[in-house]
Amino acid sequence: MIEIKNVSKSYVKGKKSIDNLNLEIKNGEIFGFLGPNGAGKTTTIRMITGILDADEGEILIDGNNIKKNPLKAKKSFGFVPDSPDMFLKLKGIEYLNFMADIYDIDVQSRKNKIEELTKKFEIYENLNEQIQSYSHGMRQKIVICGALLSEPKNWILDEPMTGLDPKSSFDLKEMMRMHAKSGKTVFFSTHILEVAEKLCDRVGIINKGKLVFVGTFEALKEKFKENGSLEELFLEITEKG
Amino acid sequence: MKKVIALTNVFLKSSFSNYNSKMGIQTGSKKKLPKVLYFILILYLIAIFAFLSYNLIDGFIKIHQEKVFIGMILFGIIGFAAFQSIFSSINSLYFTKDSEFILPLPLKPYQIISARTIVLILLEYIIEFFIGFVPLVMYGYQTGSGILYYITMLIALILIPIFPILLVSTVIMIIMSFARFAKNKNRFQIIATILALILIIAISLASGSISGEMTNEQMAQMLMKANGMLELIKGYFPSLDFLVNALTSENIFVVAIEIIKTFLITGVAFGIYLFIANKIYLKGLVGNLFSGNSRKTKIRLKENDYKNSKLYKTYIGKEFKILARNPVFLMQCLAPAIFIPIIMIGIVYLQTNSIQKEGFQLLFSVINVNSIQIASIVLGIIEFFTMFIYISITAISRDGSNAVFIKYIPVSLYKQYIYKIVPNMIMSLFSIVITLIIAQIILKFNISVLIAIFAVSSLMSLFQSMLMIIIDLKRPKLEWDSEYAVVKQNFNLIFPVIIGLVNIGILALVTVFFKNLSIYISLGVLVLVFTLATYFANRYLYKNQEELARKIY
Ligand SMILES: Nc1ncnc2c1ncn2[C@@H]1O[C@H](COP(=O)(O)OP(=O)(O)OP(=O)(O)O)[C@@H](O)[C@H]1O
Ligand SMILES: [Mg+2]
Repeated sequence: MIEIKNVSKSYVKGKKSIDNLNLEIKNGEIFGFLGPNGAGKTTTIRMITGILDADEGEILIDGNNIKKNPLKAKKSFGFVPDSPDMFLKLKGIEYLNFMADIYDIDVQSRKNKIEELTKKFEIYENLNEQIQSYSHGMRQKIVICGALLSEPKNWILDEPMTGLDPKSSFDLKEMMRMHAKSGKTVFFSTHILEVAEKLCDRVGIINKGKLVFVGTFEALKEKFKENGSLEELFLEITEKG
Repeated sequence: MKKVIALTNVFLKSSFSNYNSKMGIQTGSKKKLPKVLYFILILYLIAIFAFLSYNLIDGFIKIHQEKVFIGMILFGIIGFAAFQSIFSSINSLYFTKDSEFILPLPLKPYQIISARTIVLILLEYIIEFFIGFVPLVMYGYQTGSGILYYITMLIALILIPIFPILLVSTVIMIIMSFARFAKNKNRFQIIATILALILIIAISLASGSISGEMTNEQMAQMLMKANGMLELIKGYFPSLDFLVNALTSENIFVVAIEIIKTFLITGVAFGIYLFIANKIYLKGLVGNLFSGNSRKTKIRLKENDYKNSKLYKTYIGKEFKILARNPVFLMQCLAPAIFIPIIMIGIVYLQTNSIQKEGFQLLFSVINVNSIQIASIVLGIIEFFTMFIYISITAISRDGSNAVFIKYIPVSLYKQYIYKIVPNMIMSLFSIVITLIIAQIILKFNISVLIAIFAVSSLMSLFQSMLMIIIDLKRPKLEWDSEYAVVKQNFNLIFPVIIGLVNIGILALVTVFFKNLSIYISLGVLVLVFTLATYFANRYLYKNQEELARKIY
């Protein structure tokens, strides 16, 4: 469960990149975070994960405040950042072992988990190569594997589908569904409206730092009573907002 | 030409795009502080170079050899430019990230290479300001030179680094044109750098020996003549000779002719350079960008190694792996710790001939080796060596855009900071041990003195490592286009030098104030000073661990 309460943030004084954001992502829920470029999605995710300090408000992950109780809060989520270019000089397996050591996973369960994840994403064969030699999508996959290794209760993913091929994208969505079904939480940002529509239990739309809509996709369509394409719907919301 | 200028602009901007882009978070008066700091630092550096030059020139004037100073400085600039550009040109020509964006643009190879080379030369001028401009102005002032000298000086300073940079870049382009055939890109970069290093040293040694071996008597004779020493260092490089003549002459015609000669030689060199570059640069660049992906051909599948280790072990291991696998970091962070002490001490050893060696031995048998003065000198040398280990000062910056990683994993920031300075400590210990072994062979300290020196130097570098990571946290350089920018074009690198100088100052103070006391007391005081310093640095790091990471996002 992720709770965001009255959170504001400005990078530059006087210009709020996030303006009084309130969100609650419940257990068992897939939550999609939508918004145009520069809306504040990454900023929000950075604050949830402790990368950025919020100027105001507080953020709780499974009841643990990310600022006051950072280690506990950080143990309870797995995070996939928007750029997958990490640890390029490490081999895939070294990176995953490193992550497993950080999260204190014993040898047998890490072996099982790594094999399961990397075989599903078809990068098992590449684990003994440096991440540098991976393609963009493969890098995205290894980062996802690293984040999911510890079986965290909350998944926080910043545009996880970019660069994934249709099959991997499908697999990831399936995994998200399974995860939510088992009573855990998925929070991810995306630009792909179809994904949000088909996958998410609820969506939040942010524009210029302000939350302009929260609810189910059906409610969204209802509210804007637009029968046109998803793009038109999206344009209408963000322009009105 | 327009394109070249535009491209130069772009490259220059990306070399200088530093912390400022992330300064947004600071506001108001805080923002101005760094500028004042820069200013003070620059003044400080100018003062140091001016002071050193003043004393040197003064010394030379006393023995009527002042003109040798000009040769020395120009020679120093050439040497520095050549050495420096081995690393910088291989990086900026072949390993910058923006190459992938530049290649598809409709540009001719010579345009790209011109822009890249101009940037290299311009960056060289910054260093030249300190090691060339300041000393030569001091020279002009102390020898009461006229306006002609200053004008010649400016022209000389502009022209002189160009030739060595072109030479080095040509060698590198030739080596890199084989990149296509290399299987492993990283290994190739390391090999290429070392190869270039060897080649350049060979070339300069060869050109040095052309000017003739000299016997000791000849050397003595030359030194007797006024300014005869100058003859000794001229002739190492074609343009050096001309410019030394120009700068030491008061005849405007001589000056003009020598300057024109330099212009011509530089111009011709540039022409040849561009001609060669046009032929081989792109091939090497493309070969380098797209080689080494032997993924498809690699059929042998190694068994995955699932092992479980303690967090500190994996973390420090990870730091070392990244340092060692990145050619630039390997050469700039790890190698100096091992090579600088060996090379420096080796040079000193080889340069002093046997008579001098006997003299030294005699000297050491007369004076008390186990004195605080000697200990301080050894400590000062160690400090000098360890200050060039850039692991800690770049600990955060090296991670670049991935630096945020430390903030979202469930490991306390303080612990991670400590893990990140451990490699610096280990490499410093290497340096310390190598230096102490050599010192022990030459000086033969008492064992207890040796241990005390070891303790002081270890504490000194522990303190320094902590301070360095604090500085890097406060002013991280996270947006860089090549690894090279982190370990070279990074203003923070001035801090190890400053702190090194402060530490050496502390040593000097202790030496002066406690000269009549037992060496153990003096070394004890040093242990105390650096223990306290380390304690406070550590406390600061611990207490402010979260606050210190604020610039990383
Ligand atoms: N490092 C930074 N310094 C200053 N302003 C920033 C910084 N990062 C982001 N911003 C500003 O904050 C706002 C929100 O940016 P953010 O990265 O959160 O957008 P986003 O919704 O993730 O966009 P995208 O869809 O492009 O990923 C933008 O207006 C941006 O200009
Ligand atoms: Mg984003």
